[in-house]
Amino acid sequence: MSESNLYRSLMRCPVCFSRDTDVLMINTGNEFHYCPKCSFQGMESEIRGMYRDIQKKFHNMGKRFTLEDQRAL
Amino acid sequence: MMLFNIFHRPGAGAHYDIYRQQQELAHQLGLKTTIFLYYSDLFDPRAIADAIRDRDTYGDEISLALHNLTGPGITEISNGQIALWLLDRERKEQILARMIGKFAEVFGANPTSIGSYHLDSSCLEILRRLAPEARTVIGGCFEEGVRVFHGCNHSWYLFNEGMPWNPWYPSKTHGLRPARDEEDASGVVAVPHLVRDMSLAFEGRNDFWASHPPNVIRGMGNDATFCPYDLNLVDQYRMQAEWNGGYSYYNTFVSPSWLDWNHNSEYPPEVAWELYRKFLTYMASLKKDGQLEDLTLSAYGERHRQIRPVGHDEVYLAKELLYGSGKHYFWFVDPAYRVTIDATQGGSIGDLRPYAGQAPVATGPDTPHRDIGSYPYLIQSQHRAGNAHHCYDGARTTLLIKHGEQTLDLCNFRAKVASVARADGKVKIALTPVRFSFSDGVSGDLTTRYEFGNGTITVCRELSGLPAQADLELIEYFKGAPGRTEYPEDLHGIVLEANGSSPVHRDFDYSGQWSEAPGATEVAALIPHVRTRLSLQSGSAVSGRVHAGHLFSPYFTLQLAHRLIGNGTTCTCLNLTSIAA
Ligand SMILES: [Zn+2]
Repeated sequence: MSESNLYRSLMRCPVCFSRDTDVLMINTGNEFHYCPKCSFQGMESEIRGMYRDIQKKFHNMGKRFTLEDQRAL
Repeated sequence: MMLFNIFHRPGAGAHYDIYRQQQELAHQLGLKTTIFLYYSDLFDPRAIADAIRDRDTYGDEISLALHNLTGPGITEISNGQIALWLLDRERKEQILARMIGKFAEVFGANPTSIGSYHLDSSCLEILRRLAPEARTVIGGCFEEGVRVFHGCNHSWYLFNEGMPWNPWYPSKTHGLRPARDEEDASGVVAVPHLVRDMSLAFEGRNDFWASHPPNVIRGMGNDATFCPYDLNLVDQYRMQAEWNGGYSYYNTFVSPSWLDWNHNSEYPPEVAWELYRKFLTYMASLKKDGQLEDLTLSAYGERHRQIRPVGHDEVYLAKELLYGSGKHYFWFVDPAYRVTIDATQGGSIGDLRPYAGQAPVATGPDTPHRDIGSYPYLIQSQHRAGNAHHCYDGARTTLLIKHGEQTLDLCNFRAKVASVARADGKVKIALTPVRFSFSDGVSGDLTTRYEFGNGTITVCRELSGLPAQADLELIEYFKGAPGRTEYPEDLHGIVLEANGSSPVHRDFDYSGQWSEAPGATEVAALIPHVRTRLSLQSGSAVSGRVHAGHLFSPYFTLQLAHRLIGNGTTCTCLNLTSIAA
């Protein structure tokens, strides 16, 4: 796996992602990213926190439903 | 029994090694793959030698991928277009002839299967002529449009909707419509590019929610290498065997770029690898338990011909897995229509594709459809608003229950699919009862039952628990419009009809006017856009109404009313029949 891959340091805009749109932000260095589509800008740690917020809606994200479980759902 | 295809394809540079690791993983687990080579790979001796070795050692199939139209003699025809179905007919034929010719030169025979994201009717026709040996194809990408189109401002456009979710026999006139019979069939078996989550693929971006672990990462459905959803989706597909002759189908197609750093993930590649490995390991364990059979694409196509006759139907009971909403959707497809029942909206129709009209579509700049290869809808409640939430409603069906001055809308009552059964050559479902009450204290229970098949959707409403003298009007309601995207099409040409004591026959005129039809037992719309007559019909109905929506609400509406005193059951048929173009 190529360690020099361009995408290694890129992140998607959490605001645009909340609207179901993948937009790669521009990384200006020092872990700071800004979105070319909307006004959002932020640090990597903040962006990762926003990803976590997006996932909160998936109440069953950690649950395994086997075939038998699903018959009863 | 689950029938399972694994698709792999080489990548360029470092991605070639990733492809080899994918092959190695499948083989270590004792699973067969189908290797898709691009035209440009047919000039790469290493890619050819590795594919031949895998074929001869592990029984893999070597297949031809049509995407990425580059390579000697093709780049100058495609001029940067990467999608074959978006070229004009002449270029489609030129490129296919070169690709198939080169494949035959390298391997000594035409390919027995072909992979594409979409194959429109003209591509299929050319393909059948140039390579009749290619009897199985990856022929479409299910619903890669509902939200991909809505949310794709910076990414993806693919107007490819209205197809079966499981393998089908494409018709000659529309690659996404299942053929009625052998005469109508294009001659291939098509499988979908990935299988989709039939709840979330309807509500949102289905590319996230599919048989592709790194795509689930893209959708943020994982917590690093913990992602039970991947296996939950497999098991939901396994559940469908119960209503589909004991068989279910699954495939996966993860290309090497998804297992490297990529623009769809903020995780290191190890995470995607681990989830891919867990997924394939689960499939291998199912195989060990006798629950799954791994096949090449061609072998699946031949099996499909044995287990599914042309003209077959298919059902899918979707139970939403990720949000924990408890939502159920029910899907039915046969050569007359594809329909989606939204149980959470009281069992209203959320999507309806009138295959009965056999609307022909080919794509390319030389066609009026250009890039829109969809099979047109009459209802698409995600594109077209559906149940009212802040203003008018959009495309949907419902039941209106009137009592005194009050009207209840069944769309506002949540139900689930209580049972699915096959009987009398039809598919029958019952929803869980919903409890309703009016402000004067009258209350009761309503159970909705559907029957699907033979070009008709029968909906029965059973009311119980009502006072003997309760006076109710039950109005079956259909609001729709022919369409392909979110945007309205020109509805001129639609004709609205009703029978009864003063029959109605009027052109759709955007007037916003209702026409009343006392005594009507049938209301209908003739929709030349989809070559279809749609009617609501019931011998026990007492009146009907039809409506031509104005430009602020561009739909036609049909209503058919029953009167009920106390408990009872009403049944209404929604018929889809073909009309001349
Ligand atoms: Zn943004």
